[in-house]
Amino acid sequence: MIDFGIEFVPRDLYWKTTFYAIQAEKTGFNTLWVTDHFNNRNVYVSLAIVSAYTDKIRFGPGVTNPYMAHPIVTAQAVATLNEIAPGRVLCGLGVGDRTTLEMVNMKPSKPLATIRESVRIIREISSGQNLEMQGKIFAVSGAKLNFRTPSKIPIFVGAQGPKMLALAAEIGEGVLINASHAQDITRAMEFIKEGVARKGKSIEDLEVAAYTSFSIAKEQKKAVKAVIPVVAYIVAGCPESVLQKHGISLETATKIRQAIIQARWKDAFSQITNEMVEAFSVCGTPEIVVEKVSDLVKVGTTQVVAGSPIGPNIRKSINMIAAEIFPHFGSEEEEKHD
Amino acid sequence: MTLEENVRKIPSSALEATSEKLIDIVLNSPNANKMPSGLAKTILYYWQRDQLATEIGLQRLLEASVLVDPEKTASVLRELGLHELVAVLEES
Repeated sequence: MIDFGIEFVPRDLYWKTTFYAIQAEKTGFNTLWVTDHFNNRNVYVSLAIVSAYTDKIRFGPGVTNPYMAHPIVTAQAVATLNEIAPGRVLCGLGVGDRTTLEMVNMKPSKPLATIRESVRIIREISSGQNLEMQGKIFAVSGAKLNFRTPSKIPIFVGAQGPKMLALAAEIGEGVLINASHAQDITRAMEFIKEGVARKGKSIEDLEVAAYTSFSIAKEQKKAVKAVIPVVAYIVAGCPESVLQKHGISLETATKIRQAIIQARWKDAFSQITNEMVEAFSVCGTPEIVVEKVSDLVKVGTTQVVAGSPIGPNIRKSINMIAAEIFPHFGSEEEEKHD
Repeated sequence: MTLEENVRKIPSSALEATSEKLIDIVLNSPNANKMPSGLAKTILYYWQRDQLATEIGLQRLLEASVLVDPEKTASVLRELGLHELVAVLEES
């Protein structure tokens, strides 16, 4: 059985995000991720209110990064959430969105060491341990929370490049692959297998989530229109190796990134082609989406995250996913009714 | 007659459809930021408990939709044949 996750961007009013979160839980989504960007509403405040209005859905930052927030602060935040919603909290961690980091002159330097050490800090501190650590990036001397946490918090590492994918599989309980195309997941699985082998664990012990840019609508045209701004951000922040795989030049991606940084939205969005939409999103009518999700599952995905924009009308799209996609994949709700 | 009394007169067969239409107005209005936080939390409370298509839930939804988009609210209520409710809203 595959898990379905959903992503919300707290650019929306807090009560809208919470309304959709309640809807996601009611309709049978297993996991909810809220993005973390400094220019949107705060991820932990958003998750705290989501936790108060939901009872069973798992949730977490998807993803936070150790450049904007020290991992000890992240550990404190997820541990506090875990007190509000015991056993439902996850922690998604990655290097962050390049475009947003550039806005505050942050450079995601030494990403592998930074993520490895961050995961250690978050894991040990959030599980109540006293941490002494002299890392290459972080040093922690006798840090410990003054409150108890009820359960272990699974850490999902966001990854796209080969080394980060292997590291994510090695140190995480889950991997969040920033990819929407089966070809990218297939490639990612090679490195994920390397990572689990390095740690001597089984691939079955790992949650492999395809963190997709997702747009579903009755009409293909409407689904595509809704996904274009998100695809523009993805192309703008994509590693060169991934761009090359999809036949997109670095020059085009740079132009799009510059347009986004300078808020020239029309320029940025007009450069998005159908090929880019195909490569970087799960987008279309329910029939097309079923096909694309099936492709992702076939190559090893265990969780499909319906990421932003979800569709031109979020509420209708969530209902459409529940009614027309879940039944094809033996969702939790369907199992319950069997 | 008050808004609350008129909401009670909505036939039970129309509660679900009215609720659905009002939710759409509230979620998709460009003036959604006019919604007071207290009212938003009350609506979330009823939504979590599947009570947005009950009289009490509809009263709060109606209050919200009138705040964020009075014209669209009146138009939707007219479509649903709830003319008395429109008259009350227009008087208030």
